[in-house]
Amino acid sequence: MKSYLSLIPISARRRRRQNRMTLLCIIFAVFLVTAIFSVADMGVRMEQARLTEKHAQDFSFGAIMDTSMGQTLFLSGVGLFVLILLAGVLMISGSINSTVAQRTKFFGMMRCIGMSRQQLKRFVRLEALNWCKTAIPIGVVLGTVCTWVLCAILRFVVKEEFTAIPLFGISPIGIISGVVMGLVTVLLAARAPAKQAAKVSPMAAVSGNTENTSRVRRPVRVGVLPIEISLGTHHAMSARKNLILMTGSFALSIILFLTFSVLLDFVGYLLPQSVAAADITITDEAGVTGINCISPETVETIRGMDGVKNIFGRRSIFDVPAELGQEGLPRVVDLFSFDDFDLTALKKDGRLRKGSDLSKVYGDNGSVLVICDPDAPLRKGDTIRVDGQALSIAGLLKHDLFSEDGLSHGRVSIIASSETFVRLTGVTDYSTVMVQTAGDVTDGDVAAISGVLDEGTALRDEREGRTSGTYTAFVLCVYGFLAIIAMVTLLNIMNSISMSVSAKSRQYGAMRAVGMEGGQVTKMIAAEAVTYALAGCVIGCVVGLVLGRMLYSLLIDGRFPYAVWTIPVSRLLIVVVFVAAATLAAIHAPAKRMREMAVTETINEL
Amino acid sequence: MDLLRVEHICKTYGSGEAAVHALKDVSFSVPKGEFVAIVGESGSGKSTLLNMIGALDTPTSGRVFINGKNTFAMKEKALTIFRRRNIGFIFQAFNLIPELSVEQNMIFPLLLDHQRPNRRYLEELLSVLGLEQRRNHLPSQLSGGQQQRVAIGRALMTRPSLVLADEPTGNLDSQNSGEVLALLKETARQYEQTVIMITHNPSIAHTADRVFRVSDGVLTDLGGCRT
Repeated sequence: MKSYLSLIPISARRRRRQNRMTLLCIIFAVFLVTAIFSVADMGVRMEQARLTEKHAQDFSFGAIMDTSMGQTLFLSGVGLFVLILLAGVLMISGSINSTVAQRTKFFGMMRCIGMSRQQLKRFVRLEALNWCKTAIPIGVVLGTVCTWVLCAILRFVVKEEFTAIPLFGISPIGIISGVVMGLVTVLLAARAPAKQAAKVSPMAAVSGNTENTSRVRRPVRVGVLPIEISLGTHHAMSARKNLILMTGSFALSIILFLTFSVLLDFVGYLLPQSVAAADITITDEAGVTGINCISPETVETIRGMDGVKNIFGRRSIFDVPAELGQEGLPRVVDLFSFDDFDLTALKKDGRLRKGSDLSKVYGDNGSVLVICDPDAPLRKGDTIRVDGQALSIAGLLKHDLFSEDGLSHGRVSIIASSETFVRLTGVTDYSTVMVQTAGDVTDGDVAAISGVLDEGTALRDEREGRTSGTYTAFVLCVYGFLAIIAMVTLLNIMNSISMSVSAKSRQYGAMRAVGMEGGQVTKMIAAEAVTYALAGCVIGCVVGLVLGRMLYSLLIDGRFPYAVWTIPVSRLLIVVVFVAAATLAAIHAPAKRMREMAVTETINEL
Repeated sequence: MDLLRVEHICKTYGSGEAAVHALKDVSFSVPKGEFVAIVGESGSGKSTLLNMIGALDTPTSGRVFINGKNTFAMKEKALTIFRRRNIGFIFQAFNLIPELSVEQNMIFPLLLDHQRPNRRYLEELLSVLGLEQRRNHLPSQLSGGQQQRVAIGRALMTRPSLVLADEPTGNLDSQNSGEVLALLKETARQYEQTVIMITHNPSIAHTADRVFRVSDGVLTDLGGCRT
């Protein structure tokens, strides 16, 4: 040993298990920052290349940063960096704090044999930095590999505008950010524990009085519940600060999940994605959708052409006289025909109101779907008479597909199957035909389609206008961010429960010695974790729902008047499943450790 | 019939050249109601022996019978239940549960067994231990002597046939030591319990029915000090 600091690597080897969680926290923080900044860097490089190619001049990093997109990217990056820094400092500080608290006797002994307060502070700080030696390289490598995987997904799965993103790029910005994140979090996180260690009195080693039991003010209430459950709940409830932190941890991630999900709804309304979204639309020359001028033969011809994945059409007749309901109220309606694929897409896109029965609409069954205002006197099962023929309403749509704002404004539209429409009207030609192209479609294929069109009709090539790439990238980002939040919460909770159990290991040893069974130990730890989880779940769901509703009003209600907020039952179920899984994961390892610990090692420790 | 029978217990830590033989072929038996003191130097193997008797630790070889039952032949769960019903432990470091009151600490092993405590017996114990006025106090509100009395109360609450005490007076001053010891002997006599106690104090050892010396893992029966 060259100096007293040589004790650090020795101590690190000896306490490898206790330090595992802290190492994981550092790796996680470094990994996240490296991955986020590397992906952003790759995005900027792709944009640079695209602009250079388009405008035939070099676009420097600075020039990109001058654009509004560059600035948004930069600000988002800084925001995420600060967010991860905060989460990292909180988690790592918690871990170091616990390891310091567990070693009060050791620090007392160090003080006894002559270590100054300053030396002790330095010892704790350097010990924390020692973890960076292994954690930072692992985090950087993982982050870089993750970047490659993400770029590959963007390039080969999302495609669209990401086909030019570099695959195996190394990002110096990402790596430097990761390293800085690791060092800064650890140094910030080690400040408070270092001070705390320096405060330990040499008497702590001499007297052996290292346990802080003065915090317990009231005895446990032993009553209806088994003693192990009462004790576990008491462990959770008695440490107020820990309770707030743990409950807050659960609640925060649930709140973020429920509010971020509203953003998904928002984008869903903003960039509606449909199974029946068309790449090519064929209408009459003037682009009017109400003229039935495309023959079924042309549709069949196009169906067999290269580059065509799917083709389906709609017919329409406006202002048809009809009688609504039992009373036979006279009214004009708009009549549409949808091919089977188009009808099925209505269900897949979730456009049908609850209770609608689409199966009755297919074929010539005399059943139709109806679009009308929510307050119109039409319900499922009602009858509409068109041209003297009765049509039964099999279902209603949530909003108007044919209006800009999604509202019907007093109009009633009827969607029938092709067969029903043809029987009713005798019209076989289509007013609109939509084509979905295959992945390998060429401009030549599209030109060939254009060549077979009937006179007086024209096609609109909408391949460039598809938003599915942007939508998928946005959804991936939101889910990625939610996954990060979930991971941070999970790690934090696992770490905190593990630390809390480690701090009480002597107590658990004594309980095992006087006859507590392994199963009872597990139940006690589970009761503690479940208390945090339940409290966090209730607070998180209530606050998350309120905030989510507010965000929904702010973003969606005004812009999309047909949108109706409902309690997101499926999301709440996801929350419950996540919380249950996180709790189980947090209980498993510490409970196993306590069940398997040698009782004799703990009971006579001072 | 002997309450406790220890047969050829060996305990070795480590292997090869680093092997440490903590106990070497220890055998003895103790009849019901006897008060036994175990003496020996630090590191001689006393605590290891007590942990083996109490089934807190497993021997490398040998068997321990309590009330005729081979403890190491039992499965973990059965052994835990057997331990909490038949053996009372008193530790040098008290090892009370800080969140439980005096009374709750004492009835803790019964609560683990999902049993209701016998109120009369509890009151009697509290009275014998002089803890009636302290029943609702937390361990942190008690002196060392009082805490050790609570530990004795916990050890006796299940009316175990065997009480194992590892230097129960090691953390106490001489006055408290005397009081605790007198209590232990009095309650053991009153409830017909066998007590095996580790002590460094020769004067305490002299008051035992029988004294064992452990030296370098070897047990020697020094016979009775009292007649």
